[in-house]
Amino acid sequence: MRATKLTALTAAALFSISLAACGSDSSDGDSGSAAAPTTMATSAAPASSAPADMMTTFGAGCSAVPTDASNPGSFQAMAQVPVATAASGNPLLSTLVTAVKKAGLVDSLNSADGITVFAPTNDAFGKIPKADLDKVLADKKTLTSILTYHVVPGKLAPEALAGAHKTLQGDELTVSGSGEDFKVNGAASVICGNVQTANATVYIIDSVLMPKS
Amino acid sequence: MKALAGAVAGLVSAGFGVAVAEVLAAATRPAAGPLVAVGGAVIDATPTAVKEFAVRELGTSDKPVLLGVIGLVVAALAATAGIAGRRRRVVAVGGPALLGLMGAGAALSRPAAEAYDVVPSLVGAALAGLALWWLLRSRAGSPDVQVDRRSFLRAAALVAGGAVAASAGAVVVRRSAGGARARARASVSLPAAADTGPAVDAGLLTANKDFYRVDTALTVPRIDLDSWSLRVHGMVDRELRVSFEDLLDMPLIERPVTMTCVSNEIGGPYMGTAKWLGVPLAPLLRSLGIKPGAEQLVARSVEGMTIGTPVETLLDGRDAMLAVGMNGEPLPLEHGFPVRMLTPGVYGYAGSCKWLDSLELTTFDRFDPYWVERGWAAEAPVKTGSRVDRPKPFTRLEAGVVTVAGVAWAQRRGIKTVEVRIDDGPWAPAELLPVPSVDTWVQWRYSWRAGAGPHSIAVRATDRTGAVQTQDRATPFPSGATGWHTISVTVA
Repeated sequence: MRATKLTALTAAALFSISLAACGSDSSDGDSGSAAAPTTMATSAAPASSAPADMMTTFGAGCSAVPTDASNPGSFQAMAQVPVATAASGNPLLSTLVTAVKKAGLVDSLNSADGITVFAPTNDAFGKIPKADLDKVLADKKTLTSILTYHVVPGKLAPEALAGAHKTLQGDELTVSGSGEDFKVNGAASVICGNVQTANATVYIIDSVLMPKS
Repeated sequence: MKALAGAVAGLVSAGFGVAVAEVLAAATRPAAGPLVAVGGAVIDATPTAVKEFAVRELGTSDKPVLLGVIGLVVAALAATAGIAGRRRRVVAVGGPALLGLMGAGAALSRPAAEAYDVVPSLVGAALAGLALWWLLRSRAGSPDVQVDRRSFLRAAALVAGGAVAASAGAVVVRRSAGGARARARASVSLPAAADTGPAVDAGLLTANKDFYRVDTALTVPRIDLDSWSLRVHGMVDRELRVSFEDLLDMPLIERPVTMTCVSNEIGGPYMGTAKWLGVPLAPLLRSLGIKPGAEQLVARSVEGMTIGTPVETLLDGRDAMLAVGMNGEPLPLEHGFPVRMLTPGVYGYAGSCKWLDSLELTTFDRFDPYWVERGWAAEAPVKTGSRVDRPKPFTRLEAGVVTVAGVAWAQRRGIKTVEVRIDDGPWAPAELLPVPSVDTWVQWRYSWRAGAGPHSIAVRATDRTGAVQTQDRATPFPSGATGWHTISVTVA
């Protein structure tokens, strides 16, 4: 049976080979003049890399994400726009988007070069008593501090996720776990991880993180 | 025979068939390759209902994803055909046949398709069907299970080997064809411009390799210069057909122009400035006798893109051109080689068709170009905008004097002032660097005495008509994003 499995793997590999053969045409133009920054990422192995990214999205919470590619909240649509725009297309993240707008961080998130965002869902914000949440939303300084505590410089792949990371707010956050099971600061679970946007990798979490300072 | 073996048989034979079809297409007609043809058909059939998604469609990373998804669908169908084909041989033949017909149909649906474009898909399907038939048979007979399994694995490995060989062949053929194409471009020597226009500081220009690219072409069109010609027709007294050499023989102009993509977000990267060399379009059109009532010029690319520009816009004195050169070299293949349109002051989707095939003078009623059909504005002047490029968002800065810098643009109108605002403070004027014309972006800088704490930096521009860039935030759809680019930094 092992040999049969091997054959199946070979067959799967074959598909990526024939796809790469086809997709590579989009980048084999003039030597040395790859396209613009936005398309360069796809020119190395165009056809095979992107679906692989899609498939490596993990977590039970991913099932709540729309699957229809024409839906702006789908993984396919999110992969093509910068992170704040991507989040605004996703109904699971509408409270976060409201907070980002109130803090005036939309452009900063959209034009940052490569970041990781831990994105609390609406339910995560729902765990905070409404009076407290309203107070934070009205206080731009505190709100900015909390939101930037959810952002880490660089795109963290799942393999690099575990460990301590310095956030843009300045304090560290700590991710524990492995495989497809991660917790942030021991409390917030990653319910859908490794979601790609044009400029950020997103891990959707079920609790809001709080900086120490 | 186990279901898994059936699935493997289906997968390897379909992989073999697709690879054969791709190598055939690569050697003859790249556009007839089944994966690219189906991808193109899917893009054209994408529903227009979700207009916001069309914005996202403009990006280019959707294409590899699309091709990947098509591959997965084919794989799923192939595995199913293999599993079902164990019991019913008609399915073993019918599955690949169906896939072949899909590929052939898609190839025929492509613009500029020829009847023989069905050949790669049909030949691939026939071979896939034969291979699947043979694999399923190879495991039918022997009573000894071990012998039976071994003979199947041998057969499967053979088909898989064939698929690898064909895939490798497709890569090699494409590479060498790419090389031939590059030589064709390398053989072009562009004449000097008769009218070189204003001098440009090199710091204002974007290198060709860094220039943004947004289009819907799944494969960069390969155009044979010897057989290429441009046709100008429709509401003109006299039709025109010109070769590449004919165009180079006309008096050329060279102009620095900033191009902007309508799908650029506030602060986004989809813009760039180059020195464009080309044939001025207005005198060419006038020489053909524009008929009264001609409102729209529809440019068609060789891969079927249509882009419409108001005739009035093209004749209003701006340097609209048939561009053949970009920053001193022939157009890069990705940017429209051999000839593209370029309309200063209009977003690319409404004035700058690449890989030109024809120009047709018509009315707005009579034809909706590609993006207009998908809900985007028919007339698309570039909106006044500005962007902070330095410092980057979220940067931690030292207290003291910080240089804030960026670009601002209002093509055709020109930029009068750029102002910077720190936090909720007053707007302060930025210093503007000299510009060659109203058609390029302006570089600006501002010295900020930064104190400790978190800060936001906003920028806005005023064009030379005195109109201030609007604060109202609009999405790129349907006519371009607006709003003041505002970024956050922290000063220690």
